[in-house]
Amino acid sequence: MQQQPETLTLGRQREGSPWTGLWAVVAKEMADHLTSVRMLILEALIILTAAGTVYAASQSLRDGFGGDTFLFLKLFTTAREPLPAFVGFLGLLVPLLGIALAFDSVNGEFNQRTISKVLAQPIYRDALLFGKFLAGLGALALTLTSIWLLIVGMGLLRLGVPPTGEEVVRSLWFLLVTIFYGGVWLALAMLFSIVFRQPATAALASLAVWLFFTAFWGIIASLLANLLRPVPLGDPLALIDQVQLELALARISPNTLFTEVALATLNPTVRSLGLVLPIQLHNAVLGTPLPATQSMLLTWPHATGLIAATIVLFALGYVLFQRQEIRA
Amino acid sequence: MRALRLMIVLITLVVLTLSAVVPALAQEQNPQQNPRDLFLFTRYPVQEATIGDPTTIRLTLGTDTTPQIVRLAVRGAPDGWDISFRGDGKVVQAVYVNPKNEASVDLRVEPPKDTAAGAYKMTVVASGETREATLPLELILKAEKETSAGLTLDVDLPTLRGSSGTTFRYNMTVKNESDQEVPVSLLAEAPRGFQVDFRFGGQSITSIPFGPNESKSLSVEVRPLPDTPAGTYDIQVLAQGGEYRATTTLAAELTGQPQLTLTTPDGRLSGEARIGEKTAIKLVVQNTGSAPARNIQLSASPPVGWTVEFEPQNIAELANGQTVEVTANIQPSNQAIAGDYVVTFSARPDEGASDSAEFRVTVLTSTLWGLVGVALIAIAVVGVGMAVMRFGRR
Repeated sequence: MQQQPETLTLGRQREGSPWTGLWAVVAKEMADHLTSVRMLILEALIILTAAGTVYAASQSLRDGFGGDTFLFLKLFTTAREPLPAFVGFLGLLVPLLGIALAFDSVNGEFNQRTISKVLAQPIYRDALLFGKFLAGLGALALTLTSIWLLIVGMGLLRLGVPPTGEEVVRSLWFLLVTIFYGGVWLALAMLFSIVFRQPATAALASLAVWLFFTAFWGIIASLLANLLRPVPLGDPLALIDQVQLELALARISPNTLFTEVALATLNPTVRSLGLVLPIQLHNAVLGTPLPATQSMLLTWPHATGLIAATIVLFALGYVLFQRQEIRA
Repeated sequence: MRALRLMIVLITLVVLTLSAVVPALAQEQNPQQNPRDLFLFTRYPVQEATIGDPTTIRLTLGTDTTPQIVRLAVRGAPDGWDISFRGDGKVVQAVYVNPKNEASVDLRVEPPKDTAAGAYKMTVVASGETREATLPLELILKAEKETSAGLTLDVDLPTLRGSSGTTFRYNMTVKNESDQEVPVSLLAEAPRGFQVDFRFGGQSITSIPFGPNESKSLSVEVRPLPDTPAGTYDIQVLAQGGEYRATTTLAAELTGQPQLTLTTPDGRLSGEARIGEKTAIKLVVQNTGSAPARNIQLSASPPVGWTVEFEPQNIAELANGQTVEVTANIQPSNQAIAGDYVVTFSARPDEGASDSAEFRVTVLTSTLWGLVGVALIAIAVVGVGMAVMRFGRR
């Protein structure tokens, strides 16, 4: 408390590395996450979903639907009534998992009065927050990777063909983007857990944001685009402008970004996300797959956006956490 | 006066009466002038014939007075000659004649093959009931002419001109001039690079039967192979049937034709190009035809907004069998989206067919925006680092 004015002065040298004890925190937090009932329930949910949808998809593929190329990618995207495709489930479950991992990470420590005990150890606050975040991201990555392996394994068993290099690269890229999609929600939930003292409030706030982006942002983006760029009758250029704006606004939502990445990564014939003019399709050969690197380049801005959003949200939470009074 | 008028009328009457009577008298006098009991004549009493060939002489018999049966005979014919009378296709000995109808009889004279050439006389004797009629005939036999051959070949247009892609079609008439039935087989001797086919009635044939004195129109189809060089070629045609044979020569004047093929050195018709960058594609123009190609223009039909430049833009001359390498610099439009596009290259000579190649270009987007993304993430990380520096606590 007395030192606080000092900490705010610039150019101050800190003793020791801020990373001291980081891995201890990560290890402990990971252990907590992996043994908690909450995580078990969520993991069971996701693994059941994965097993169910992928089994159904592989059944469809074995029956000969979906052609004969990129079969492994089709495991993710093939839907069979009454189940939607696995990708659709991921879009819902990954934010839930991210929020569940972090909504009580900081305020929970406060409520259990353990934070001062932790910080009494030779561990900086930086390391504590970093460790919590990294542990959350690690748990998320672990879960998603194990699901990825589960799907590949099931694909091998059920389809009897090994995945091609292209398919492996594409699905790994999709896995990475999915992890950071979860990372955004993890960082958001962590931010709310710093801002709000009650875990329930933080959880509700996170869920509210998630719901907002999932259900309402599309409508709002469309309305905003209509409002900002009204289209006079018979003006195709203005119409193109409006569609571009609507698309740009919609892409603020991480859900949109994730959906577009899933579309372009798991469906190699997608050549462009967004508006394509007929002039761009002159002499184009449609229906041919893009090279994996080109699909990655196509979704690179989306991935950048998700990764950057994760880092920015974390940085925000970090600044707020550093300025908080702990010995309350 | 009155008497004079009467005189004129009378004289006129007499003249008119006389003019009517005189011709009637003249008509009645004709048969009575030369009434014949039997007559025998032929239109051609002296005939020529080839030794070994039968000769037919038409005789006409008639009577002016009494109907009667006339017996026919030949006197003075050489020994061994086969002589017969024929009426309506039957061999006859006698003929019935009456005053109104003349009768016709064919005298068929067939001298033996070993008869010497020369003039032979004979007399036909017709014996009626009351009198005889005779008709002296002369037959001049000549030695058999050595006819050139039993087969002739006749071609309407023996010299044709065309390019290597065309079929030369000669119309040939084959005639069997002998009086025997002959199966004729047809042969052709053509230089390398030609296919010869005999056609009759749409069918391809090698042999064809001919009746005596029959002629048939055949067509000879000559197809040069595509790589046959230009020039004039002779094709010998031989028709052979029994001991007869006939030959003729057909000429095909082959004008050359350039044939271009456009491809790449390794035959792969796909490549990659980056947006906003020129990419060089090597193309190979090859002349597989039989004549040099002149002034070959290279062109491309790329998607809208693309630029394609050739180096060189045109080729002045390309000899047959030669290849030349051309570089096409393509630059995709800045508006192009990643993925496959088709660019069609074509090479067009002044004469001859052009060739085109469809080239599939995979457009790669610039990695610049990827780097920008990495930079943005780096800025975010630096931001976190600065926050750590700024807000880090002991």
